[in-house]
Amino acid sequence: MIIKFILNKKEVSIDVDPMKRLLDILREDFGLTGTKESCGEGECGACTVLLDGKSVTSCLVNAVHIDGKEVMTSEGIAKEPIGKLLIDCFDEPNAVQCGFCFPGFLVTSYHYVKTDGEKNLDKIKKSLSGNICRCTGYQKIFESVMLACERKPLMNANERE
Amino acid sequence: MKFYKPKSLLELFETSEKIEGKKYFLAGGTDINVQIKNGIIKDESIIFLNHLTELKGVLQSDNHIIIGALASFRGIIESKLLKNKLPFFQNSLQEFASPLIQTTATIGGNIANGSPTADVVPLLLVLNAKLKLFSKSKLREVPISEFYLGYKKFILKRNEIIGAVLIPENAETGYETFYKKIGSRKALTIAKLAIAGLKRISNNKIEDIKLAVGSLNEYPRRLYKVEEYLKNKTVDEIDFFELESQLKKEITPITDLRSDKEYRYQVCVNLIRTFLNH
Amino acid sequence: MKSIRKIDAIPKLNGSWKFLDDYSYKGMIHGQLLYSTCHHGIIKQIHFPDGYDLSEFTMVSAADIPGENIVPEPVCDQPYMADKEVFHFGQVIMGIAHPNRKLLREFISNTSIEYEELPAITDIKECLDNEKNAFGRELTIDHRTGKKPDPNWVHHHKIYYTPHQEQAYLEPQGMIAVWQPKDKIMFVRATCQCPFFVKEGVEAIMGDTIKEAVIETSEGIGGAFGGKEDFPNLLAGITSLLSYKSGKPVKIVLDRSDDIQITTKRHPARIEIETWTDPKTKKIMKIDIDYRLDAGAYQTLSPVVLARGVLHAISGYSIPDAFIRGRLFHSNTPSNGAFRGFGAPQAFAAMEAHIDNIASDLKMNPYKFRKINLFKIGDEFPTTQPILEDHLSNCLERVIDKSNYSKKLKEFKEWNKTHKDKKGIGISIGYHGGGYTGNGEKVLNSEVKVVIEKDAIVKIYVSNTDMGQGAHTTLAQMFFEAIDHPREKCRIQLPNTSKTPNSGPTVASRTIYIIGNLLRKFAFKIKDELGFENLEGYVASNQNEFPREFRMNFVQDPSVVFDDENYVGVAYKDYSWAACVTEIYYHADTYQIELTKSWSVMDIGKVVNQKIATGQAEGGVLQGLAYGLCEFFYKPGYGRMHGFTDYALPTTMDLPEIDVEFIHNDSPIAKGLGEIPMDFPAPSVRNAFHNATGIFINEYPLVPERIYSYMQRATDRHRQTQTV
Repeated sequence: MIIKFILNKKEVSIDVDPMKRLLDILREDFGLTGTKESCGEGECGACTVLLDGKSVTSCLVNAVHIDGKEVMTSEGIAKEPIGKLLIDCFDEPNAVQCGFCFPGFLVTSYHYVKTDGEKNLDKIKKSLSGNICRCTGYQKIFESVMLACERKPLMNANERE
Repeated sequence: MKFYKPKSLLELFETSEKIEGKKYFLAGGTDINVQIKNGIIKDESIIFLNHLTELKGVLQSDNHIIIGALASFRGIIESKLLKNKLPFFQNSLQEFASPLIQTTATIGGNIANGSPTADVVPLLLVLNAKLKLFSKSKLREVPISEFYLGYKKFILKRNEIIGAVLIPENAETGYETFYKKIGSRKALTIAKLAIAGLKRISNNKIEDIKLAVGSLNEYPRRLYKVEEYLKNKTVDEIDFFELESQLKKEITPITDLRSDKEYRYQVCVNLIRTFLNH
Repeated sequence: MKSIRKIDAIPKLNGSWKFLDDYSYKGMIHGQLLYSTCHHGIIKQIHFPDGYDLSEFTMVSAADIPGENIVPEPVCDQPYMADKEVFHFGQVIMGIAHPNRKLLREFISNTSIEYEELPAITDIKECLDNEKNAFGRELTIDHRTGKKPDPNWVHHHKIYYTPHQEQAYLEPQGMIAVWQPKDKIMFVRATCQCPFFVKEGVEAIMGDTIKEAVIETSEGIGGAFGGKEDFPNLLAGITSLLSYKSGKPVKIVLDRSDDIQITTKRHPARIEIETWTDPKTKKIMKIDIDYRLDAGAYQTLSPVVLARGVLHAISGYSIPDAFIRGRLFHSNTPSNGAFRGFGAPQAFAAMEAHIDNIASDLKMNPYKFRKINLFKIGDEFPTTQPILEDHLSNCLERVIDKSNYSKKLKEFKEWNKTHKDKKGIGISIGYHGGGYTGNGEKVLNSEVKVVIEKDAIVKIYVSNTDMGQGAHTTLAQMFFEAIDHPREKCRIQLPNTSKTPNSGPTVASRTIYIIGNLLRKFAFKIKDELGFENLEGYVASNQNEFPREFRMNFVQDPSVVFDDENYVGVAYKDYSWAACVTEIYYHADTYQIELTKSWSVMDIGKVVNQKIATGQAEGGVLQGLAYGLCEFFYKPGYGRMHGFTDYALPTTMDLPEIDVEFIHNDSPIAKGLGEIPMDFPAPSVRNAFHNATGIFINEYPLVPERIYSYMQRATDRHRQTQTV
């Protein structure tokens, strides 16, 4: 079937098997390899993207579900003001280790910082609880997201949205 | 694999009637995609539902809260209406899978998937929820307690779907509430067992109590015998030996990769005791 | 100590850093492994499904191997592909490739194999309890005095078990092979720890059909933890063979469920300890350790794990009369392999539990009992290696102090009297010898290369990979900080066996310890040789000397003399030391342990990059805590795990606050950091549980089902005593 959607703020359209996983569409049809496959069953969050502004595991989303919707990947988020802020906040404490899970963490924490943004450790832990990291022990990830929440109010008002 | 994307509910039923053999209704897809990956679903027909907006949303009607079968868990958790009317129900679902899965997984899918571990069902059981079942020519309501007939077996007729979940708006009012989901970790977990409870105490007596468990039977169940035994007793009057003998008639825990039957049984007993403040 | 930022963090975050599956080559097809689903048997027939055009597939099996069907390993006993008989579930039988990944997957999942089943050992205890299953070389460390134990000494005899642990690197195993027939070169892109091992692996299977294998890693290696030490050799071999036969580039990326089921795990262990303790002095006077590892179906690198295991088996205690025996045991499960800690976590699991056991029997505070028995300067390891520093004791003192251990011990005891739930606090210690065991580093003879360009850009060439530990940032930092060269003028070459010299594998906590310190020395050497104060200035005024290449080899300290036959001498020149205190809250209703806080104090020598080191240590501590608390791979009667749904890794909600501190960081040398955080934390969980409930559990993990069954046994025993 032909589906149309907005990918990283650009309108796109492809002819695709309606069951094809969004993850494969991104990687194979659009060359957006920032979205990673690790478990393929929604249990790790390495393939997290935003679907209509909400974080989802793209390995469990089918082509049919994105028709007419908006998809943002780590590549797109990296260009957004809050995305840039987060990247700097992950970079500063050397939070990134192997990095395979980090595009997913970037997407989920972007959603948190953008829609909530309260510097609250419990809330941050909960919001990131669908993303698994095996390297870091998470502490530096929490530290980075807390830092981003702290710095978000210092951004220009139009960049915070 | 054959796919169908009906434009409306009516078309859905027309399409469904035409399909012979096994078919799947795909809502959020969080479980069906895993089954496809693992080769459990291979060539069966798939009917897409998730675009049918008439089955989404949470709204109030008369004295019920109606949750569309295609309402996502995230939608439920963020609903202001539910925050006001059914906060216990809403809070308990925070532990459902993970925030990422909550975005796509639907309440109807969780019920119709028929898993013994379905998180939402024990809650619906104690809240006396009803399911609104839709078919081409008929709408009917059945209590959730009558929906399951066995492991992955339902009261649903061929070409009938779950349209909505109805919860009495005052289902939680006046009750002490209890919900515990026991898994191997605090998020992203499948319940080893889950228990939901409501109780109302008057003059030290248990005036009303409702208990339901998941992962302890072929499908989540109310513990009617235990409830019956407990009603109109003070805590001191409860004979726990007797309570356990009633409980044993109502649960059939098993050992699997995830947990052990002895453990499941004992934790169920312990949690009931704790809920009764014993 | 400067925490410079990582060179790869930003591209990793925005998704532009390439991991294995992100590479593509023209005409590339996809491969997959067809593996045994039988634990032991003779292959009778392979049935491919109908409805596929078999001519579209490329298939390789043992019969197609032009070279040798044996993977190069410390012990060469494992074939790339089974010939007629399979010896474990997950043993590769064929490699199959097709242009369409999805179709290939369907084809293989519908392929069935008929076996004549033979007897198999798949249960951990069945394997390790039966001495008939022992195979390979037995190791002994004999530090016995020959004296009989004093009859007044208190005797303790216990058996401890540890389970498998899955590395669970987030990026699955993967490999791309590109056959270049013109030059007879097999180019392999690998996600791996040891490019030169992979090279050996490819050259062994391909034999004379190729001139050379060239291995280059992917930019990103998505975690490894030991899991990408030896399995990639096998995978690269089969991928290469597929590329050779098809004439096309072939990519194999393992699906998670295949990866978790067929690749190496941490060895399950059975460790039996007998001790005799003088009740007056509270000194352990004599110890006997029987250390057994379930190697799986083949020995592969297990002898090396065993070596490290026996060398760490006594933990940090000075015991005058000691005998340690180590053996490998055979089972019909995939070969177990490297995982962070490499035999040491099992050793500490047993000994650190045993220490608490004795202390409890002697009614002693576990901290005070440890203090009495801890290594002191002038003592020696059972191998006779002298103890030259008391940093282990410093770690213990510091962690006891900062965790408020003694005060909490009392507080919890009081609190527990009036509560159904319990609080507990536990200690553990550990250490890790840096680099290859014994004479290993001499044999490796690691070489590093540096090229200084005309624009004063320094290019560093090493074969050690950055799999997340930040090695490439830290290695470069060690070089440029030594000579005060600007960071941005320092580059590190992606490991490639035709460009980077063999500086050894990325294992054994050796990257910073051996290669980093070597680069630092190298920087000083180049500075002396050229006689500059400022490299940029020197290059500018001596342009005709550049570009210039420099090479240097690692020279082992002459004090490292180890007798491999008798296990006597200096096994490791430098040890990293650590001590840990963990606090738990035990939920009586659900038999669940909740970790509330964990403190670790480590001596890793000089800390090159504080933030990188802290992050790596925190991650290791969580892996270590989870090893004791929740991770297991096999359940008797119910088999092995299939993926991340079953194998429960800690989520963001499951960790305690982890406090990590490095002491003695003013040391001139940087010691090993990679593994030690994994070695020591797990026993602190068990000891804390013992402290909370008085119940002693001799196996990991402390999942609630296990706790419940121990609680039941304790209640039953109690009832029996009452009836008597």
